[in-house]
Amino acid sequence: MMLEVQHLTKRFGGLVAVNDVSFGVEPGAIFSLIGPNGAGKTTLFNVLTGLYRPDAGEVLFKGRRLSHRLPEHIAARGVARTFQNIRLFGAMTVYENVLVGQHAHVRYNYLDAIFRTFRYYRAEKRARVRAHELLDYMELNDRAFELARNLPYGAQRRLEIARALALRPALLLLDEPAAGMNPKETDEIKRLIRRLRDDLQLTILLIEHHMKVVMEISDRVVVLDYGKKIAEGTPGDVRKAPAVIEAYLGKGALEGAA
Amino acid sequence: MTPGWIIALIAAAGAGFGLALIAAPRSAWPLLGVFGALFACLSVRGWKPARFAIALALLLVVIPAAGVQNNFLFELVTQMGIFAAMALGLNIVVGMAGLLDLGYAAFFAVGAYTWAIFGSAQAAQFMSGDFPLAGWPYFYIFSALAVIAAALLGTLIGLPALRLRGDYLAIVTLGLGQVVRVLANNLDQPVNITNGPQGITPIERPPIGWLESLMGALGIDGGPALGYALFFYLLVLAVIGVVVLVNVRLDRSRFGRAWVAIREDEIAARAMGISPTRTKLQAFATGAAFSGVMGAIFSAKQLFVSPESFTLLQSITILAMVILGGMGSIRGAIIGAMAVTLLNIEVLKSFSDFLARLRQTGFVLDLGVVSFNFANLSDQVEPAKYERMIFGIILILMMIFRPSGLIPEARHRLEEGEQTEQMKATPAGKRRAP
Ligand SMILES: Nc1ncnc2c1ncn2[C@@H]1O[C@H](COP(=O)(O)OP(=O)(O)OP(=O)(O)O)[C@@H](O)[C@H]1O
Ligand SMILES: [Mg+2]
Repeated sequence: MMLEVQHLTKRFGGLVAVNDVSFGVEPGAIFSLIGPNGAGKTTLFNVLTGLYRPDAGEVLFKGRRLSHRLPEHIAARGVARTFQNIRLFGAMTVYENVLVGQHAHVRYNYLDAIFRTFRYYRAEKRARVRAHELLDYMELNDRAFELARNLPYGAQRRLEIARALALRPALLLLDEPAAGMNPKETDEIKRLIRRLRDDLQLTILLIEHHMKVVMEISDRVVVLDYGKKIAEGTPGDVRKAPAVIEAYLGKGALEGAA
Repeated sequence: MTPGWIIALIAAAGAGFGLALIAAPRSAWPLLGVFGALFACLSVRGWKPARFAIALALLLVVIPAAGVQNNFLFELVTQMGIFAAMALGLNIVVGMAGLLDLGYAAFFAVGAYTWAIFGSAQAAQFMSGDFPLAGWPYFYIFSALAVIAAALLGTLIGLPALRLRGDYLAIVTLGLGQVVRVLANNLDQPVNITNGPQGITPIERPPIGWLESLMGALGIDGGPALGYALFFYLLVLAVIGVVVLVNVRLDRSRFGRAWVAIREDEIAARAMGISPTRTKLQAFATGAAFSGVMGAIFSAKQLFVSPESFTLLQSITILAMVILGGMGSIRGAIIGAMAVTLLNIEVLKSFSDFLARLRQTGFVLDLGVVSFNFANLSDQVEPAKYERMIFGIILILMMIFRPSGLIPEARHRLEEGEQTEQMKATPAGKRRAP
């Protein structure tokens, strides 16, 4: 298993945002997390990436315990993410954003930077080349030297993915990458996610509200509702599960539909 | 206008004002012209070697040539340099890393006391040995120690920064800055380390025999006062050079990027593997180090330090320089420091003198509707005393009309050189798996 989530619970005061959730993600899978608004999907991401401490349960990444580690350590281990409400470094250029993403891989010390040693030049050169490769891959190279905050919305979403890829992750968490996009852009994101997995051998954990995207590209889907896992399986299984239909359409929907 | 023309114009203006200043080293207009040309060299873009050459000519030829006739010029530019180094240091903490630090003068104090205690008889109060430490290497060794001491204190004061944000951090650093001053005030008992409120004097200066013989060879005779004025001017210039170089190099490294990333979005930065703890402490230590070295130079230059040299007002003055210049901008910090120092030492004083002269001569300003006789102007109207008020007004105006400062941080322009180089390296559109 690439990622194992075991009995994970996260409370905010009286609210149980994630309630005893368990699942496992195989390497190379596109694994989707769906559920109505407020179901606890983003909270689960925040626990996985160390921003929140779980109240109970464990997270194992490649067999090693991730829970209770600092976000920066988890990132350096190879778990990258994007944010539902885009969080770029707005006053930095597109290119610098991707360089920041490589922080853990650009290795030289303080004195190397001051004296511009061979190590500095070698590491920076590598980082620069890779930054441009990533920007090229995400079709952002022609905007490389614009400030991130000046990019149009769709490009900002792609830049967030480019920045996450710069971390050389094994596991990529995408929080609603197609939110706010038109059908054409959504289609592009869908193909991009597939390409990421195939080209880069990534394992992808995806939160997405566009059902078309989820159903077409997921290998496996987990459905959350009020913090609880209410279904898990292939997209086909999940779509038919009564609990899921009920969660999405409300109680009585099944009878109404029948 | 193309950059070439602008730079030619700056060169011409610099040469004109420079010659005028050398001819009349005591008049204010040529001086302002020379500073204008220096500002311009820093503010315009394009053709770096030419701008660099003009600035160097002004700093190494014009100002020394005028300064040997008028010591005050050295004093003014040395002050500017000292403040510029501090503004650069504070700019790392506040501008780049986004940590509001109101106790910054503390690092300057630590640097100053590091040399003051050992470069005077003071150290004999609490340890045995032959003090003051005179002779050439000591001052330079202790300047280096001042850097280390300030960086250590920076780390220490930085520790609460790890837990606090924004206003809370500002208040804690303000308090810790005061603690350093209070310590300096009270560490005369039980062991007399700082000599308390009386301060420490006289403080040794490094020997400058070499410079005096050089001046003698050039036929300049001004005695040791002029020699030291020139020495400190050159020393501060050299240190500023190093500080700027270090600052620029850190800015364009993983460290500078981490500072700005933490400022822009701490959570996203952590998700990119950046440790906020380490990054913030590095910013605090680096900023403090810049200030520490100038503290040591300041104590030798002034021959005297006391706790009153390191007040909250001073921390705020340096902050004003950073804000005026443009938060996060290296050139902005330098220009902010130059402008505020000039305003403090030169402009307000000249304006006071000007009003005093009008008052004495009984000049009548006749506007038709109203007329005013300057002889009736109150003695209280003394611009030099309004330093804080004028700061306040300038800062308010800046916030309204130019909130990002005279020279705003411009990260996209940093890459001009790289841009072309990289575009060639990766042909656009040739997409492959990275
Ligand atoms: N920091 C927090 N403090 C208190 N409550 C929170 C916090 N973060 C999330 N919550 C609550 O936890 C619940 C789950 O929120 P979460 O953002 O995880 O939902 P989500 O599934 O991502 O929803 P959406 O589809 O709208 O993004 C919500 O009720 C939310 O209000
Ligand atoms: Mg969410």
